[in-house]
Amino acid sequence: MSPMKLCVPGERLCSTEDCIPGTGTYLRHGYIFASLAGYVLRKNEGEELPVISVVKETETQLLPDVGAIVTCKVTSINPRFAKVHILYVGSTPLKDRFRGTIRKEDVRATEKDKVETYKCFRPGDIVLAKVISLGDVQSNYLLTTAENELGVVVAHSEAALILSGAQMVPVSWCEMQCPRTHAKEFRKVARVQPEYLQA
Amino acid sequence: MPVDRRRIRGPDESHSPYHFVSKESLKSLASGDRRSDDSQRGPLDLRPIFARCGLISQAKGSAYIEAGNTKIICSVYGPREADRRDETDMKSGRLVADMRFAPFACHKRGAWVQGNEEKDMSQGLLESLRPGVCLHKYPRSQIDVCVMVLESDGPALSHAVTCASLALADAGIEMYDLVLGCTVRHTGTTQLLDPTLAEVQDDEDGGFVENQGSVTVSLMPNMNQVSGLQSDGVMEQESLKAAVQACIEGCYKLYPVIQQTLLKTVRKKAPPSES
Repeated sequence: MSPMKLCVPGERLCSTEDCIPGTGTYLRHGYIFASLAGYVLRKNEGEELPVISVVKETETQLLPDVGAIVTCKVTSINPRFAKVHILYVGSTPLKDRFRGTIRKEDVRATEKDKVETYKCFRPGDIVLAKVISLGDVQSNYLLTTAENELGVVVAHSEAALILSGAQMVPVSWCEMQCPRTHAKEFRKVARVQPEYLQA
Repeated sequence: MPVDRRRIRGPDESHSPYHFVSKESLKSLASGDRRSDDSQRGPLDLRPIFARCGLISQAKGSAYIEAGNTKIICSVYGPREADRRDETDMKSGRLVADMRFAPFACHKRGAWVQGNEEKDMSQGLLESLRPGVCLHKYPRSQIDVCVMVLESDGPALSHAVTCASLALADAGIEMYDLVLGCTVRHTGTTQLLDPTLAEVQDDEDGGFVENQGSVTVSLMPNMNQVSGLQSDGVMEQESLKAAVQACIEGCYKLYPVIQQTLLKTVRKKAPPSES
């Protein structure tokens, strides 16, 4: 493998006539400069010009962006919304927790007005959600679970508080059952794709 | 009035112990090209720099710099959710810079609480770093830069700026360019680049001299832009211009060392596999 080129922020890589700027670069005066300290990668994407990008070994800043699937933990619920802490963006863990909100009307796609958050989420549940908006100055990230693949993934039953019970098994799209007490509880369950389930 | 006869009391008048500390004999700076720290460098040479990145494991990025006796450590956290909600900007991130001197950093013991001078220097650090960071790529977030001066031998702000840029690059925060800092001490007609504490204090103790002051410049070398400029003292316009020019040249001399440090840090981590 030929030794890869390293660069520091501010180093001029090439001109815009040779490559298209990718991640970790910026354009200035018709030239492409690096904005990260790392390895320079040139990829031929099949278009006319190769894409030049700078990668650092560790996954750098990954902010929740609109449309990203995030994994979060419910911290508190309210008749109007549920507050969550965003833990993962896609499959990369975040070093710092960001806060998010799932409004009552964003929990599911049908019968939005008849939703009871108490029957969809409980504090401590791990939920898969999608970011719909960065929110405004005062509010947190706005998330939605209004899709079949989104919703509660891991939940513990109420008995878990006393018996340290196991996590519940999904029964339908709105119910989960505790394997120990066989009690059913209401949740908005996510339909996890078979390939993501570990046997 | 009852008089306490049981305790032995000290003298009624007391003086600060610092009055009795003997000052070291001043070396005449005007004679020849010898710097006060007895090194071989000339008046326009920098002190040799030692820099390393990635020493604080809890921080996203960190850097340590040593220049002569000056030792500065910096850690960068972020991007994280902004502390103060009312100042959150939807379009760009916020940079928060904090500079502190350890109590054991100077000859006189300081406090752990930030003093006024430290607040000033934090503001100067923030102004120098902000043009270098691509804040528009981090909306709604905050990047914390914490600089601690462990030992201060001469003006610390310029080395703090360099250290902070190294830490930001180590943290993987996107930047337009590295920001490097340099200081020049101007006395009468002599200019000293990267002064030590002895050189600065000798000047001040030597009484009032015409045309005396310090200039600190923060420069982005590849973009050739000055992001921070601070000066202290009373200087003529020509001397000020010459001092700024000397600082800019000092920054260019500093750049290869900092570049090598960053490349060494990147090389330590294994290269990514060909995907």
